[in-house]
Amino acid sequence: MKKWISICAILVLSGSFLVISSLAATNDAPEVKAIKDRGVLKVGVKVDVPNFGYRDPKTNKIDGFEIEIARVIAQKILGNKNKLALQGVTAKTRGPLLDNNELDLVIATFTITEERKLSYNFSDPYFTDGVGLLVKKKPGYKSLKDLDGKKIGVAQSATSRAAVQAEADKLGIKVEFLEFATYPEIKAALDSGRVDGFSVDVAILSGYVDKSTVILPERFSPQNYGVASKKSNEGLAALVNETIVGLKNSGQLDKLIKKWKLK
Amino acid sequence: MVGPFAWFKWEALLKDGNVFIEGFGITALVAVLALGVALALGVIFGMLGASHWKFAKRASRCYVEFIQNTPLVIQVFFLYNGLPKIGIVLPVLWVGVIGVGVYHGAYIAEVIRAGIQAIPKGQREAALSQGFNYWEAMRYIILPQAQRIVFPPLTNQAVFLIKNTSVMAMVAGGDLMYRADSWSSGNIYYGPAYVVTGLLYFILCFPLAQLARHLERRAEVSA
Repeated sequence: MKKWISICAILVLSGSFLVISSLAATNDAPEVKAIKDRGVLKVGVKVDVPNFGYRDPKTNKIDGFEIEIARVIAQKILGNKNKLALQGVTAKTRGPLLDNNELDLVIATFTITEERKLSYNFSDPYFTDGVGLLVKKKPGYKSLKDLDGKKIGVAQSATSRAAVQAEADKLGIKVEFLEFATYPEIKAALDSGRVDGFSVDVAILSGYVDKSTVILPERFSPQNYGVASKKSNEGLAALVNETIVGLKNSGQLDKLIKKWKLK
Repeated sequence: MVGPFAWFKWEALLKDGNVFIEGFGITALVAVLALGVALALGVIFGMLGASHWKFAKRASRCYVEFIQNTPLVIQVFFLYNGLPKIGIVLPVLWVGVIGVGVYHGAYIAEVIRAGIQAIPKGQREAALSQGFNYWEAMRYIILPQAQRIVFPPLTNQAVFLIKNTSVMAMVAGGDLMYRADSWSSGNIYYGPAYVVTGLLYFILCFPLAQLARHLERRAEVSA
């Protein structure tokens, strides 16, 4: 008899949990609950990549494609798309900031790789981009082949190095890589002739084209961007992935990509 | 448990150990060469600063104030990206040697000037009255005495200099810091990378710091 009561109680309890959780549309993993208690979602975004995440120097506001994704996730978790605390990250800071809980999520042109999956949770890709090459117009480079024996500037923590190296191996040419912490530093090195090419994902590269430079038509290995979270925060990762998949299926993601002129 | 210090990250580091060893070599090389530059500049400008020749004093003051009051990062960035605009493209190793050398030269100049000025005025006057000229008085009377006062802070400067070579990481200098950044940023195994890098800098700096302490103690005893 006692047993029956406890089973009933469990059923009722779990039933009400189901109702509550479906109302809130989450299963409330501890890290998700922590976000709800806090009432704000902390997201790391780029502030120097036009159209993805960029701080407008005039208004001092950060906006872009990836910020819109962050808003959708905030809406999903907190029911309010503006409950966001955005923080600018670089390729180098985004990993540590997740590990030490400074950030809940990173949505910052973060390319998914097998190696990185060991350390962080990644959502399904929300954008795919190729690696491109920005060069000065003057020497008249037509393709990567012309850069045999030259120096190429890449960003630290970026996957472009491996992509260009693979392509160079295929062509049987040798290139040397110099790594810099930020994109403006690479552009400065290109301007001063310290490097002959500047290689990073095309969407980012297009923000750095000016009168004296041109992006070569070649595209190297596609880069998939995913939303990253701390490895142990699996409940949050599942929730984020659900959101991204939902965005994709509803066609809303394509609309955002079009809105920010990324294709 | 997957954290910044997960075991597989340490294994990856051991496998790529030579990346860090190469960086360590470049850092040591740049440090030695830059120390040479810094000592040469420091001794020359230190003596000029302690002299009574007005123009020399002013030149020394200009150098010291200009270098001490602008960030090393900007000086190195200028050497790397500024000079090529007027057609001077220094190899990155020399950007490090000259940048760090000139920077610490200014600090060493101050150390040496203070050391010289700490020698009682009578010593120099006595030397001059014995027929030594200014440089001879410096060489045979003043500097040997100043040496004892100057050595401990000088060794400290060498420690600072070694640590400051890490500024080369900013201009793709191939030094230890750059290698650590480069290696750990690709795979984001930053935990072990920066611990090991910190230890390698410690290995370079700790013996020098000990030497400084030792010299200091000896100076106190003999003073």
